[in-house]
Amino acid sequence: MSRKSSPFANLFLFIIFFVLYAPIFYLIFYSFNSGGTMSGFEGFTLDWYKELFSDTRLLIIVLNTVVIALLSALISTIIGVFGAIGIREMKRKRNQNSILGLNNVLIVSPDVIIGASFLILFTMAGIQLGFYSVLLSHIAFSIPIVVLMVLPKLMEMSPSLIDAAHDLGASRWNVLTKVILPYITPGIFAGFFMALTYSLDDFAVTFFVTGNGFSTLSVEIYSLARQGISLNINALSALIFLVTVVLVIVYYYISRRAGNQGMGGMRR
Amino acid sequence: MTNTIIQFNNVTKQYDNDPVVLDNVSFEIERGKFYTLLGPSGCGKTTILRLIAGFTEATSGEIYFDDKKINDIPANKRQVNTVFQDYALFPHLNVFENVAFGLRIKKMKNKEVEAKVKEALSFVNLLGYEQREIRDMSGGQRQRVAIARAIVNEPEVILLDEPLSALDLKLRYQMQGELRDLQRRLGITFIFVTHDQEEALAMSDEIFVLNKGKIQQSGTPIDIYDEPINRFVADFIGESNIVKGTMIEDFLVEFGGKRFECVDQGMNPNEPIEIVIRPEDLEITSFDSGMLKIEVTSQLFRGVHYEITGIDHDGNEWLVHSTKKAKVGDKIGLHFNPEAIHVMRFNETEEDFDRRLESYSEGEADGE
Repeated sequence: MSRKSSPFANLFLFIIFFVLYAPIFYLIFYSFNSGGTMSGFEGFTLDWYKELFSDTRLLIIVLNTVVIALLSALISTIIGVFGAIGIREMKRKRNQNSILGLNNVLIVSPDVIIGASFLILFTMAGIQLGFYSVLLSHIAFSIPIVVLMVLPKLMEMSPSLIDAAHDLGASRWNVLTKVILPYITPGIFAGFFMALTYSLDDFAVTFFVTGNGFSTLSVEIYSLARQGISLNINALSALIFLVTVVLVIVYYYISRRAGNQGMGGMRR
Repeated sequence: MTNTIIQFNNVTKQYDNDPVVLDNVSFEIERGKFYTLLGPSGCGKTTILRLIAGFTEATSGEIYFDDKKINDIPANKRQVNTVFQDYALFPHLNVFENVAFGLRIKKMKNKEVEAKVKEALSFVNLLGYEQREIRDMSGGQRQRVAIARAIVNEPEVILLDEPLSALDLKLRYQMQGELRDLQRRLGITFIFVTHDQEEALAMSDEIFVLNKGKIQQSGTPIDIYDEPINRFVADFIGESNIVKGTMIEDFLVEFGGKRFECVDQGMNPNEPIEIVIRPEDLEITSFDSGMLKIEVTSQLFRGVHYEITGIDHDGNEWLVHSTKKAKVGDKIGLHFNPEAIHVMRFNETEEDFDRRLESYSEGEADGE
């Protein structure tokens, strides 16, 4: 039944994944090195992890990063969802397309430019660089992503669904909460997780707008790496990688369970 | 209390600078009847439905519901419910919650909701399907859920927007019967939109035939089939032979180079007209005894009858439905009764047309 893929295709796939994952595993491997460098493996140790967990400054930075990511993802999801609904409601196709174009420009424009322009904006507006400036800029660059994730789901929704809800007596608020939002929930989740990951690993924008001792992981790792190689970073990277893998697995199970719910009815 | 539930007064609908969708339409709809809006796509029939439901606003004219003007009343405050062409069932809710949607909006108590939903589902023979997801239902079942969702709110009028067009032929026939039956049992007004003339003839108490934003003719299925007002209606409803002719005088019409006795009157002498003869009213006889003589050009077997096409010596094409066989190339005669000829005047308004037809029956009464 299923076509067997050729051995070359498999080999190609293997090489690609090897190239992509090898550096990460190399990094993780040396986080257990007692030698202190990444040139020769001397012995197994968990010292670097101990050091990492005793470094409260670093832990606070991790916490900062997570708080920024969660908050910015949450707020940008709310704004982005309403933005997407607004774009859909637009009467003229041309306005819709131009707004969508503006939205997409923000996604493809280099982070450096966005970061620099935020820096100029914040200094001109007199906003102190730190937690709020980072949060604001993260929200700003996440909104277009959320819009992009939610809009296809909205567009796929038949307009007669909304008519039907009105027809059955629903007010505009009812239509929003009982029809539109439940329908686009998968898109909202996708948008939220996208915004979360974008915020977690953003370096360029954060680098520009952070200040007053406030720092996030990516910026911190960058400055640590500049000071010289310490296997601290390896340990930290290994932990982040682990968390990422766990998140991916969790996401996979959630989406599989959501898919299963429908199948349950079928089986009965 | 009058029997009129919906009334349109000179309603026009136009989007921006596009041509008008509805052109100065007026009609009345009576309580408890099954109405069909029939016409080709783009004729404005769905627009009428959307105006009644409140999804769109009239450019000019008044719409009355129960003698109250409802032009500015939003859709969610109107006592009508719609069954949509694509059913518009909510995919995130199961069958029960879909049907219960309107009741939940009204904040009805759980017990009442349950009783009403069960009753509505039993009306459409879907008891036991409450917990099913919409995606696990077949097309016909979804159709029934959509109908249950509309009737559970006990509206005065149910609007149906081509609800059967997505079903296969057999299921469509079955649903036609069920819908008609349901309407009789509930006793509420159904307004049904379709482009399928057969569907309209089978189900309706009253048909409005629409074309290009105007109502061409309204009447019972039999009226419309037997006495079409103009070429469009004759052509759209059923199959017909339409031939140009001249009304020589009352009860005498000329077409195909011959004069025939007919039952129409009240037109000007020698007025150019068109005549309609339905294919099933033409009978095949021998060439010599035929009132019309045609040469058979094609024959199709349709199961119930043969569909025979032929040309007379004037070049008019004649379509005949007959259980008798013919051969291509045969010369055959056609026989028909005076009643089979239906005369249509050019550009006659519906009022004039009705008046003319009415005068016939008065004439008959006088004659007796």
